[in-house]
Amino acid sequence: MKRVLLVVAACVLVTACESMPKVQPWQKGNLAKPEMAFDPDTLEARFADHTYFSKEAASGGAGVGGGGCGCN
Amino acid sequence: MRVQLNTMQNRTRTPARSILAAALALPGLLPGTSQAQVTAPNATLVQFKFLYYKDYQQSGDRMTIKSPALYLLTPIVDDWVFEIGAVYDSISGASPYYHTTLSGASGKGIQDGRTAADVTFTKYFANRTSVAVRAAYSNENDYKSIAGGVTIRHATPDQNTTFTLGGGYSGDQVFPEVGTPQTYYKRTYDAIVGVSQVITPNDTAQLNFYHAYQSGYLTDPYKAYYGVDNRPTTRSQNALLARWNHYFDWADATLRTSYRYYHDDWEVSANTLTLDWAQTLPGGWVLTPGLRYTAQSAAFFYFDPVYDPLLGAPFPPGYLLNPTAFYSEDQRLSAFGAITAGLKVSKAFAGGWIIDGKAEYYEQRGDWRIGGDGSPGLETFKAQIYQVGVTRKF
Repeated sequence: MKRVLLVVAACVLVTACESMPKVQPWQKGNLAKPEMAFDPDTLEARFADHTYFSKEAASGGAGVGGGGCGCN
Repeated sequence: MRVQLNTMQNRTRTPARSILAAALALPGLLPGTSQAQVTAPNATLVQFKFLYYKDYQQSGDRMTIKSPALYLLTPIVDDWVFEIGAVYDSISGASPYYHTTLSGASGKGIQDGRTAADVTFTKYFANRTSVAVRAAYSNENDYKSIAGGVTIRHATPDQNTTFTLGGGYSGDQVFPEVGTPQTYYKRTYDAIVGVSQVITPNDTAQLNFYHAYQSGYLTDPYKAYYGVDNRPTTRSQNALLARWNHYFDWADATLRTSYRYYHDDWEVSANTLTLDWAQTLPGGWVLTPGLRYTAQSAAFFYFDPVYDPLLGAPFPPGYLLNPTAFYSEDQRLSAFGAITAGLKVSKAFAGGWIIDGKAEYYEQRGDWRIGGDGSPGLETFKAQIYQVGVTRKF
């Protein structure tokens, strides 16, 4: 049931975005700022993932094939 | 380009900043790419960071970790991009025997080093598609991991929507330094499906669904030796990660938000929210205060620090009747809430140099869990995290 809801949510999101006015290439100046990246600082993001992976039970969501460590 | 900029400026009297921004947004020119695009970066980035981490609780200090790390991203030939990362963790201190009872008093402290490296090759194709192949290696005295993954990204012709599909594998070996020398194996398969979407000139969002399946030796060998720890041999993990970034023109600042819902078949559910406010200031300064809150439920086999009346600590009540059942006394599998508060300062210099520093404070408590009861009887867990870095783009 959860998976069905997820798929529906994703479809709604994509459809909603399709119906919005398209952002044109010359309007992407702000989007191109480094601060607008989802992970603007690679090593900082890695440190954070590693820290929380070793101190909490939940992990994952941003990428695959990260590999394990004895810290957990 | 400069000539073109000047001409346009004279003709339309558009503020120079927005023209520059527009020019920067053209593929191939940008220092960073717009977030939903699939465009090969054309600049090299080298980054060095040093992390100092220490955690502690009321009854004593726990681990201290010092980690120098390196990262390089560079375009090579024919739309190929190469990335390499390396880190060394120097680990010392004490780990709890069970619950928050520290090993320091009677047992030996921990002294370990971890060396890890990874390489990624990404090929960018003309149809706005990229394929990244990654390999990673991590080695400790008592743990070794070899991992890899493939991630495919594809953007729509307007470069406003990007789809991500990825799969990975990790083969791990555990050789505990206690008990009979033995090697245990652990495998992880993971997959990601995601979509990133440019919503407005100031908004970009991402939705990822992540799944991982682990099998093999998932127990903590030290907690099993000194305390009681016996975990299922499989674990199925699901996470839904939603991120939304908004740029505020009036403040010249970016708000980065993320929310993750996590659930696994050990019955751990977690909700994690992060907020970062990246404030651009004159002179190349960026000030980024950040907050993170997470709350998780306990694994079904975690038991509170109430021990068997006959056997005493660390044995759970009724242990003798069922010694092979699943048990864990690991605080990480308990129910808690945790808050991180941090501040990052970075300054950009001429020549593509960036220097940054970040300080964070982390605290984990049973009674900070929202949406349910936290696990009782554990000491509050605290950590301080500091990092300094230098980055160069050229």
